[in-house]
Amino acid sequence: MKKLLAMVLAMTMVMALVACGGNKDSTTPAQDTPPAENNAPEAPETPAAGGELTLWTYPIGNWGQEDKVKAITDAFTADTGISVKVEYLAYADGDDKVNSAITAKSAPDLIMEGPERLVTNWGDKGYLVDLSDMFDDTDKSEINAAAMTACTHSNGEVYEYPLVVTAHCMAVNLDAFKEAGADQYLDMATRTWSTDDFIKAVDALYAHFNSPVGAVFCKGQGGDQGTRALVNNMYGGTFTNAAHDQYTWDDPLNVKALEQLKSMPGITFDASLEGGDEIKVFYQGILKMAFCWNIAQQLNPNLADTGAGLTASGEEIAFMAFPSESGAPQLCGGIWGFGIFDNGDQARIDNAKTFIKWMCDSEHTVDAVKTANYFAARSSAEGTDLSAIWADNDIMNDYQVLMPYLGDYYQVTKGWAGARTEWWTMLQKVGEGANIAETVATYAGNANAAAG
Amino acid sequence: MKIESGNGRAYKIVSIIILVILAFLFTFPLYWIVTGAFKNGADINATKPIWVPTEWVMNNFDKLMKQRTVPLWEVYLPFGSFFNGGKKILLTAGPEAPGAIRWLINAVLMSVLAMLFTCLTAAMAGYALAKKRFNGRTLLFSLIVCAMALPKQVILIPLLKEMSALHLYDSLWAVIFPTVGWPFGVFLMKQFSESIPGEILEAARIDGSSEWNTFSTVVMPMIKPGIGALAIFTFINCWNDYFMQLVMLASGSNFTIPLGVATLQAETSVDNGLLMAGATLAAAPIIIVFLIFQKYFTQGITMGAVKG
Amino acid sequence: MAKQSHPTMSRALQKRENITGYLFMLPSLIFFIGFVVIPMIICIITSLTDANMHDQGMFGNFVGLSNFTKLTKDVDFLEALKNTFIIVVVSVPTVCAFSLWVSSAIYKLSGPVLSAFRCIFYLPVVTGSVAVTVVWKWMYDNYTGIFNHVLKGAGLIEQNINWLGDSKYALWCIILILFTTSVGQPIVLYVSALGNVDQTLIEAAEVDGATSFQVFWKVKWAQMMPTTLYILVITTINSFQCFALIQLLTKGGAGTNTVMYDIYWTAFKLTEQAGHFGYANAMGVVLAIFIGLLSALQFKLAKEK
Repeated sequence: MKKLLAMVLAMTMVMALVACGGNKDSTTPAQDTPPAENNAPEAPETPAAGGELTLWTYPIGNWGQEDKVKAITDAFTADTGISVKVEYLAYADGDDKVNSAITAKSAPDLIMEGPERLVTNWGDKGYLVDLSDMFDDTDKSEINAAAMTACTHSNGEVYEYPLVVTAHCMAVNLDAFKEAGADQYLDMATRTWSTDDFIKAVDALYAHFNSPVGAVFCKGQGGDQGTRALVNNMYGGTFTNAAHDQYTWDDPLNVKALEQLKSMPGITFDASLEGGDEIKVFYQGILKMAFCWNIAQQLNPNLADTGAGLTASGEEIAFMAFPSESGAPQLCGGIWGFGIFDNGDQARIDNAKTFIKWMCDSEHTVDAVKTANYFAARSSAEGTDLSAIWADNDIMNDYQVLMPYLGDYYQVTKGWAGARTEWWTMLQKVGEGANIAETVATYAGNANAAAG
Repeated sequence: MKIESGNGRAYKIVSIIILVILAFLFTFPLYWIVTGAFKNGADINATKPIWVPTEWVMNNFDKLMKQRTVPLWEVYLPFGSFFNGGKKILLTAGPEAPGAIRWLINAVLMSVLAMLFTCLTAAMAGYALAKKRFNGRTLLFSLIVCAMALPKQVILIPLLKEMSALHLYDSLWAVIFPTVGWPFGVFLMKQFSESIPGEILEAARIDGSSEWNTFSTVVMPMIKPGIGALAIFTFINCWNDYFMQLVMLASGSNFTIPLGVATLQAETSVDNGLLMAGATLAAAPIIIVFLIFQKYFTQGITMGAVKG
Repeated sequence: MAKQSHPTMSRALQKRENITGYLFMLPSLIFFIGFVVIPMIICIITSLTDANMHDQGMFGNFVGLSNFTKLTKDVDFLEALKNTFIIVVVSVPTVCAFSLWVSSAIYKLSGPVLSAFRCIFYLPVVTGSVAVTVVWKWMYDNYTGIFNHVLKGAGLIEQNINWLGDSKYALWCIILILFTTSVGQPIVLYVSALGNVDQTLIEAAEVDGATSFQVFWKVKWAQMMPTTLYILVITTINSFQCFALIQLLTKGGAGTNTVMYDIYWTAFKLTEQAGHFGYANAMGVVLAIFIGLLSALQFKLAKEK
């Protein structure tokens, strides 16, 4: 035992020594970020324009993939001398990480997400820097007006500089639909369908496959825009009021939709899934439709590497709008961009602003947008036209047909994060067979109470 | 538990059969992880369980290695920033490496350091509690017993703030130090030290041996098995302490392999092959450690806990 | 045991014992006080305040016991407390009983076989909770999981059971995983303990005409009491590892919330309730009291035997 212990100890010491030794020649007592971050000769002692930034990003399209992000941040570093250290957050525990970092006074300089977090939460609590001085009149005319509104807090301060937008939709397994004879209900030209057709399609699929074909997933908040959009669109219910100060999902139309969904044998309420899990099960070909979908998923090769727009067994995936009675669905939007945490260091804030300017409003914006796999949040940036950057991509072009259905961006309603929790908890209770009208009233009431 | 002599034989046979079945059930998760790591995409995503991979591929490990790139080796000197004008002192060496490799190194480093610190401090404290009649001993011991079973979640927030104030947040030390502070080891070592005959210590004292010498040459060898048991217990516990790692470690270069695997699991679309590869990598070192130390472990338990 | 009696320890000797005693305690005390006691004290103090993440500084305003009175009305917390109680109360005794049974069945087997069994039951422990969780998640899967596949194949169930999504099953699924990751160590311990039982006492009891049950209860069990106490403690500690299982499998949904998870949730999840540190610390204090009582009970039971 002693020998072993001694050996372990000795090994640790040797390792530590090697570490020290390796460092000796380059002993620039490092700063917050590790030295030798880029194996390229890091800008020799970069004093003048140098500096460093930390960026935490959620998996927004390929902004969650290191190789893609590194390409663009390296270009930024080469251009400005500012190095960027990127951390990749997951939706499952990213929020907790940011909150613990704030508590530990170690928040990153930059964060990439949407207004629902940046504006309603961290901005609202005063952790973010006001970016309004970054928008001149040209910017305001170029940026999508709805996106600009969503990024602006009710106090007039802007907490997010938008980069990309998209509409969230759903997806169907086209081959399975054809097999069950349900493809007649899909309008592939407009990508819309009526609620009645949806119900008939689910019944036809269920009759054919004899197992649930769609899942109202409710394990957590991941991908919940899908379940919200499904319930809201079926009979035209709303989630919040237009002024964004009250939750209205106890709307009888939503109750009707939930009762309808609950009564369908082809639809299961599944508290073991959230958005990402649902997509996996959809890829596996078990579920025949996915409610958590958008263009990035359509473009992303799936897990079995069978190619874009195909399931693991190679069946064709088609994106669709959510079913609606009116034929004019209201799709949930995603607006993603950057926010700056106020860590009390003006130099870093300035660097962060340089970063945002470079990514969101310069000739490099094309690359930043393409990295995200979504549509640009503005028509042009510093003279570069952004409206046609996806012209060479058929899938993106097809997807344009959904963009006019982009609905109200209600995710900035006060008390949003709490309301999301109420929503999926409510779905769990509904799934367990609780009285729907009462449950909906209770949880919508909770959300409103918390929003105060 | 009642064994009638007539039925003894039948009972024995039945229990062996049950045990064999249980053994299969207990081995299965590990089997599933390891085979899963080598399955191809079709097998992984198959809707029916594929008991044996149709082909063995390294694909998942390749993907795992491509997840993140971080410096291979980097040690943060604790408290260094207090002597360096607020800047962290990092000892960095080695080229850029796949994140998974670094996470593995981090996890091993973290668990080994926690193990060494715990064994040393706990052995000393346990000996003192058992054999030294100092004032306040009973009070200290009751405090230790009370705190022993406390889950770390209880002090989550104060601990996080403390780590932040000590500039330890987002470093392995933030996981190591609380592990060392957890008084279970002291309790265990006290139980072991109780069994040291007082006469031996007396004899050493009469021989003129210094307190430290007595401890290192007389006491240590006698509680050696106990230290072995504590070492393995601490290593495994620290390795498995997903909670502390989750809260205290923020950047990808400081992750441990269990935390890294958990993060992969949290990504938007779940890739089971990748996860199994990560899980294999996370399980392998600790199983190896267990197999090496197994003998000491069982020995240690035999001598210590039984005599309590 | 082995209490040295120093009824009249001289002053000088006592002083010497104090100094050496505390010097030996010192390294351990630094860590214990620094990273357990001080945070615990801060936790107790902040539980009486409205401290939260948005205000700078460690302590907020003193609010008396209002956090605690709020807790008694917090439905989620009460459910979490109940679940924590269930987990501990179910898993600790079952782990003890099961490992005792396994040990008594294997301890007389020949060396290599015994060794193999011991290792196998230890495997889930050393596989690590995160790795184990990954595979169990797959096995419990509603659509492609092994459980549903096997049970359906055997004709025991007709519809897939949503193991982790159904509040009827989810908590028990968690307890089952916890169980497999907990029994390893107790089995190793009991095997050793059974092998060490004083053989002459057993023989003496048998000569006196004791039944095998009496032999077990009066002789073996009594001798193994210290081992059992130790097992109770480590199993209790182990049952708090369920945080990882809950975070990775159910996120506290489907009736699997526990106090440990609730504290984390209240502190850091992105909700409007998040960052209420005073409130979260109050939960911590309640949990600490709960654990303290439990430990005291265990020690008392063990001492009585």
